[in-house]
Amino acid sequence: MMLGILISASVLRAQKASDVTVVDKQTLQALLQRIDQLEARVKQLENEKQASASVAPAAPSLEASPLTGIEKKQEKVVAESASTAVPQADSLVAVEKNGQQDEVSMGEKTDFNRTLLKIRGFGDMSVQGIADNSQTTSFSLGKLNLFVTSDISEKFKFLTEIVFEAGPVISEANSNVFGVDLERMLLQYTYNEYFHLLMGRNRTSIGYYNTAYHDSAWFQTAIAPPFLYTYENRGGILPLPIVGVSATGLIPSGSLGLHYIAEVGNGSASLLPTSAPVQNVVDENNHKAVNLAVFARPEAVPGVQVGFSWYNDLLTPYQQAKVSENIFATYAVIERPKFEWLNEGLLIRHAPAGSSHVYYTPGFYTTISKKFGRYQPYMGFQYVNASDLEPVFPAVGWQQGPYTGLRYNANESVAVKLQYSHNTFRHQAAENSLALQVAFTF
Amino acid sequence: MRRLAGLLGIVWAVAFLLEGATRESTRTPEIVPAILSPAEQNLAIVVNLSNPLANLTRQELHSIFLGERNYWPNGRKITLVLREAGEAERKTVLRDICRMNEEEYKNHILHGLYTGEILVSPKILATPAGVRKFVFNVPGAIGYLRASDVDATVKVVRVDELLPEDQGYKLHVEPISAK
Repeated sequence: MMLGILISASVLRAQKASDVTVVDKQTLQALLQRIDQLEARVKQLENEKQASASVAPAAPSLEASPLTGIEKKQEKVVAESASTAVPQADSLVAVEKNGQQDEVSMGEKTDFNRTLLKIRGFGDMSVQGIADNSQTTSFSLGKLNLFVTSDISEKFKFLTEIVFEAGPVISEANSNVFGVDLERMLLQYTYNEYFHLLMGRNRTSIGYYNTAYHDSAWFQTAIAPPFLYTYENRGGILPLPIVGVSATGLIPSGSLGLHYIAEVGNGSASLLPTSAPVQNVVDENNHKAVNLAVFARPEAVPGVQVGFSWYNDLLTPYQQAKVSENIFATYAVIERPKFEWLNEGLLIRHAPAGSSHVYYTPGFYTTISKKFGRYQPYMGFQYVNASDLEPVFPAVGWQQGPYTGLRYNANESVAVKLQYSHNTFRHQAAENSLALQVAFTF
Repeated sequence: MRRLAGLLGIVWAVAFLLEGATRESTRTPEIVPAILSPAEQNLAIVVNLSNPLANLTRQELHSIFLGERNYWPNGRKITLVLREAGEAERKTVLRDICRMNEEEYKNHILHGLYTGEILVSPKILATPAGVRKFVFNVPGAIGYLRASDVDATVKVVRVDELLPEDQGYKLHVEPISAK
């Protein structure tokens, strides 16, 4: 037996000995030295960690060994009831993304990682022909829109839309010259969901289309906005931009989803036909334009929004009586990922001072579309009826007509649209036009 | 002599077993794909530990993930955390909560940012560990993880009163295929 034990012991020793690598003294010395260096480094890191722990709350190790299913369930229960492990809410913290520093700043401190400008771009190009030869068939560069935002802090945000655009086409002399428009320039303060304050140049919250699509052909299903929302420098009739302040927010209304908007600003210029329509710096009178809007997004019907707005301003055309302007707008829209139905109607009331005559200009449009994969056919009808004696926009008159088209979403950033429109007018022949547009975001 | 041979055999066997055990303990643990139970494959909605919320309905999640709702009931701003496009967890969120495809979702978020209705663009994180760290550090954060990726640093909220391990839980992630 003893012999057996001795033999087996010797065999085991021999096996272990075969695993041992003979290391010379010099290597051993070098290794010991390396261990000393590493120990010193660990100590240094520990000291640094302790120092930072006194500034920020310690986080539990996120690199902990994986938990078993049962342990996880236990941990979940702990997590649900945990209150002691709550991190300080307003501490300045850093988050790692793939081992690199990302950003998160809480409270009102400005974290310069967050204030970096974020830029998105939108653009469009088109070719359009009108059958009656009143205009030539042309390739047209549309708008190049740079949408820039910056989160200045938790409460403040900056937003601007810089649009490079040729035209306006109503003036032949400069229809091929590109200009720059600061379509939006806003400083937004957010107190809570019931109160946001915006200051600067914004889109007036008249109706729906103006604030939903702004200056981007990419977001619009059709090639161009309806007559009613044509830009002022292209003959439009609504004061689409406003320079001033506005307050918006949620109205406590449960599942009804009511929101309010209140705006005060410079309104549109009316003094001279050559005046720039948007009063960016100086208002031509002391009366401020006011716009009040309310809309609902009922939870019960996803994608539905209904709203109403009232706009008031005082216009002062050169050598004419002052005109009181009131615009009443209402809308009901359904916007879902694969279906869109927009309906808007409005009434513009112009009452010149000292006259018993009041001018009413009604207008509406409806447009409907549905997506079938990458294809999105759409159709609509639009109408506006202004008096020939209308004191503010005498050239608009009566016009109406249907349009239909097909939008093809080539990918998530490029869309091609083909549209046919037929418009009839009070004092001129009907117009048939065909247009092809490429709209994109980048 | 037979006894001696028998004992020798036992000693050999013990020595062999000991040697095997030693080798086993020093071997580097092999990484094998975990076989997850169906409950562990479910999608957990996670929030910061300080968030008092215990339950969200799918309708509420829909509003949050589409950026229609920007604040928690305690007034804190919601920060949305998403995984990168193409990840199985994200597909589940888009399919079962947002009811959109990837393209529609991206366009929706872009449009929301453009109109100013979405206040903060969602944070895109590459790994479950990244999501855990972010949600742990940001009090208003909400994200999602495969239930097997959840640990004590985040809080799992019930969805329609159910936890991921409960019967009838609706958010299922495409199973991890064993490699």
